[in-house]
Amino acid sequence: MPRIGVFVCWCGSNIGGVIDCPKLAADAGELPGVVLSTEYKYMCSEPGQNSIIQAIRDHRLDRVVVASCSPRLHEETFRKTLARAGLNPYLFEMANIREHCTWVHNKEPEKAQVKSLALVSRAVAKANLLEPLFPSSIPMTKRCLVIGGGIAGIQAALDVADAGHEVILVEKEPTIGGNMVKLDKTFPTLDCSACISTPKMVSVSTHPNITLYTYSEVAGVDGYIGNFEVTIRRKASYVDHSECTGCGDCQTKCPTKVPSEFNLGLSTRKAIYIPFPQAVPNKPVIDAANCRYFTTGKCKVCQKICTTEAIDYEQQDTVITEKVGAIVVATGYQLFDWAAAYGEYGYGRYPDVVTGMHFERLVNAAGPTGGKIQRPSDQSEPKTVVFIKCVGSRDPAKGKEYCSRACCMYTAKHAHQVLEKIPGANVYIFYIDVRTPGKGYEEFYQRTISDGAVYVRGRVSKIYQMGDKLVVRGSDTLLGRPVEVEADMVVLASAMVSSSGIQDVARMVSVQVDKDGWLQEAHPKLRPVETHTGGVFVAGSCQGPKDIPDTVAQASAAAAKVCGLLSREELATDPMISTVNQAICTGCGLCVPACPYQAVELKTITERIPGHAPRERTVADVNSGLCQGCGACNVACRPGAMQVKGFTNDELVAEVDAICL
Amino acid sequence: MKTVVDNLRREAARLLAGDEVKMVIGYAAGTDAARTTPCFATTPEQAALLTWGPLCANNLVKYLLDYRFEDTRLAVVVKGCDSRAVNRLLQDLQFPRQRLVVLGVPCGGQLDRASILSEIPPGARLQDIEDTGEDLVLVTDKGRLSFPKDRFLMDKCYRCETNMPVVADFLAGEPVPSPAREGFEHTAEVDGMEALDIADKSSFWDNEFSRCLRCTACRNACPACSCKECVFEQAVPGWQQSGIIGSKVNSLPENAVFHLIRMFHVTGRCVDCGECERVCPVGIPLRLLYRKVLKDARILYGAGTPGMSTETVSPLSEFRPDDPEEFM
Ligand SMILES: Cc1cc2nc3c(=O)[nH]c(=O)nc-3n(C[C@H](O)[C@H](O)[C@H](O)COP(=O)(O)OP(=O)(O)OC[C@H]3O[C@@H](n4cnc5c(N)ncnc54)[C@H](O)[C@@H]3O)c2cc1C
Ligand code: SF4
Ligand code: SF4
Ligand code: SF4
Ligand code: SF4
Repeated sequence: MPRIGVFVCWCGSNIGGVIDCPKLAADAGELPGVVLSTEYKYMCSEPGQNSIIQAIRDHRLDRVVVASCSPRLHEETFRKTLARAGLNPYLFEMANIREHCTWVHNKEPEKAQVKSLALVSRAVAKANLLEPLFPSSIPMTKRCLVIGGGIAGIQAALDVADAGHEVILVEKEPTIGGNMVKLDKTFPTLDCSACISTPKMVSVSTHPNITLYTYSEVAGVDGYIGNFEVTIRRKASYVDHSECTGCGDCQTKCPTKVPSEFNLGLSTRKAIYIPFPQAVPNKPVIDAANCRYFTTGKCKVCQKICTTEAIDYEQQDTVITEKVGAIVVATGYQLFDWAAAYGEYGYGRYPDVVTGMHFERLVNAAGPTGGKIQRPSDQSEPKTVVFIKCVGSRDPAKGKEYCSRACCMYTAKHAHQVLEKIPGANVYIFYIDVRTPGKGYEEFYQRTISDGAVYVRGRVSKIYQMGDKLVVRGSDTLLGRPVEVEADMVVLASAMVSSSGIQDVARMVSVQVDKDGWLQEAHPKLRPVETHTGGVFVAGSCQGPKDIPDTVAQASAAAAKVCGLLSREELATDPMISTVNQAICTGCGLCVPACPYQAVELKTITERIPGHAPRERTVADVNSGLCQGCGACNVACRPGAMQVKGFTNDELVAEVDAICL
Repeated sequence: MKTVVDNLRREAARLLAGDEVKMVIGYAAGTDAARTTPCFATTPEQAALLTWGPLCANNLVKYLLDYRFEDTRLAVVVKGCDSRAVNRLLQDLQFPRQRLVVLGVPCGGQLDRASILSEIPPGARLQDIEDTGEDLVLVTDKGRLSFPKDRFLMDKCYRCETNMPVVADFLAGEPVPSPAREGFEHTAEVDGMEALDIADKSSFWDNEFSRCLRCTACRNACPACSCKECVFEQAVPGWQQSGIIGSKVNSLPENAVFHLIRMFHVTGRCVDCGECERVCPVGIPLRLLYRKVLKDARILYGAGTPGMSTETVSPLSEFRPDDPEEFM
């Protein structure tokens, strides 16, 4: 018979102010298996913990129940207390009589008294069946994979690499840099985006600890924390980058022009191209879908011009595998497809209705217009520019419910840039709210207003072309009247949405995607860069819309978590994971697809039964590195062969009985 | 019908003679004219005992489980509905396909033995049943009685989804028309039960479950029940205890626990072969219960009748990121 000690905590007046703790302790003393039941003001305090240790020794306790707050808060604390007393830390059960009882029933103390005893009975019933559990350990591969080479991925890779660990950075485009390098200046300080991001890009390519795979995608992730095996597909670039010097002669001579992705179609590039002059790596790739040689079989101009014979039309996609211990996902964002959703803004038919990102390229000295703000339709300088905020953001009917967070600030930035570059320009900004929570942000916004930007509170209901003007019709909800502006150019602050392909990445690394399509962090406040899958972290705008300061801060946070992990030689695994009773397992395999973490596999065992020849049979097997103890497989298993240690069917049934019978 | 039987016997004899299989599981004439009995033929001579007709309701697939841990190759005779059970066993990894030869028979519907017997006048003895195609002639020692065949069809046959096997290595005959009838939509009977208010529904099932003998015939006949050690036979503590077979407790709540747990175990897996209901000695409408969850799985997860192929996964044992979770 187990010897259970029950320790009721007052939590000051949190619990003690609602129920009668001495009475609860006395009642709990009557429960089966309980040899000691006592109470104390603060069980988690040092004297509280010491009293538990003393009681374990004095009363030879072999199970401990603490009735106090949420296990989320102090389960770890008390497990350590048990360990200090020489008891297996898993012979511990907590009854949450604070969040689950006194906090919610503080107006009904009598009922709270009854309920708290029920909760303690539950814990005691389970404690009677607890068994010691032991963590096992898995080795640690001290390398990190970063998926996505935007500023988030770059920062995380550099931080981890600087700490002395190897990093594999995978970027799907031909260059790293992501959205940030496309920007002109960055709020609130207005420093030039390229000037602060391209040096970091170069550091990535020259860092001895970083292996950079651009034009590559992660095709599969196997394994588990500390021991991931990643398959990476490197798309054929048709240029041997070990021979290429990056002289760029090929792209000068290439006869095929296609719209430039980097400039969002505002200029053209060649079929063999380096996306922009500061690209990293600064080596071209051939866009086979548009290359004249690949489409017609004739051309090979680039091959003729290349002095180092780097062009290789025969090159194939290659697949490589890398072993890593941790993964940072930093796949960033893309812009909401406003043209498909906002018919009233012309479905993208009017060339002078552009997005904020187009504006960034138009105002950028290295952009297609050399930094002159020009209308895409006729290259004239716009005199009246209308900005519309929240296009696709905060609009559940047509777009997304959430706020994209960066738009208020970059629109203020854009307005400032128009007023600065075009003397006498008129700027109107249609908005729902102006949100400027950030260091120096409100000041920046006020400056834009004093520059002369006119903020109009209200949504725009229609844009239509009249001659060479765009008529913007909306309402001013503060003055309660309709407004109409004849604009030369309209800039839409379109919502940030997660990058296409995020679902595939999420599935490969077993991370949930939230209702808006962003990657789900483990806890919005307390575990913002972790995910529910051990060893997988998120950084930057793939987790939710963010500006650069927040992105970089989060990337460094993820890097710190990765470094913490990689500094260990081996990892202790949580012992509260599933295990299979092979004698009962039928080998039906229903638990295999039930596991969200691909932790269950079938294996063949040889079974010896008295009076029979040894026979082979299939049974389930749980990988202790992958299993997160979620219990999904337990429910799928009809004979009950699959059970989570520490949450066995017997234990759960005993708890239900204690509460309900 | 005659040619189907001949084809079946010929193929069975060939398989046994060539040692391609160790045993053919099929039907043989029964102890009276209104029934057949399972037949386990192990020699080419015994193949001549095999028969086929509208009185072959048994789903023989379940017998395969008796041989699952051996390495012999077996053949089994299946109707359309039984063939779904073959897929059940294959999907549940309870029998390897390479050890199995599926002998398919075209089924025009199966007859309900009890309703046939109820037409025999007191004192008369059924000697033979003649199937004229349209009609069924009951030959008794007191004379011949002719009835439209429809009258005796099993309820499940009116709702038949596949009267030809969905999996077969050998087909003993040409396809025949399905016995399914209009007005017996797949879920019609469930709709009726769902329409009852909660109190009526509860008393309906209380009434049914209270008659259960816990003989476990339903489980024993079920091809979805393939566990090495059934939960109801394990020593368990607490309230489940009374649900186990060893328990002497036989009260309504215990019976309800038994049936509801079994219901969850066959959700997304029950192939709707109807065997449980047919073998129940006290006539509990078990299919109604399982068809309710079949319907729910269809509506919530778009799941079709299990066993139609080996591709579909039971929605309750699969994790999909887009699973409905409106309760959260
Ligand atoms: C118009 C506009 C102006 C802005 N101006 C400012 C400003 O002035 N100041 C400021 O602080 N913020 C500004 N922002 C916000 C800023 O752009 C973001 O905060 C920042 O770029 C986020 O960086 P990231 O690394 O998270 O994402 P991204 O920059 O989107 O980088 C993600 C990278 O991952 C790659 N990737 C995606 N999927 C995969 C995959 N499956 N495999 C491999 N690689 C993949 C992408 O190709 C990309 O390189 C602005 C945003 C917009 C739209
Ligand atoms: S407990 Fe959850 S994570 Fe572990 S094997 Fe079962 S389903 Fe997979
Ligand atoms: S553990 Fe259960 S669900 Fe998994 S294969 Fe074994 S019997 Fe089937
Ligand atoms: S539950 Fe009944 S109908 Fe369903 S597969 Fe089992 S025996 Fe057949
Ligand atoms: S066959 Fe009928 S009586 Fe027997 S256990 Fe099943 S439902 Fe109960």
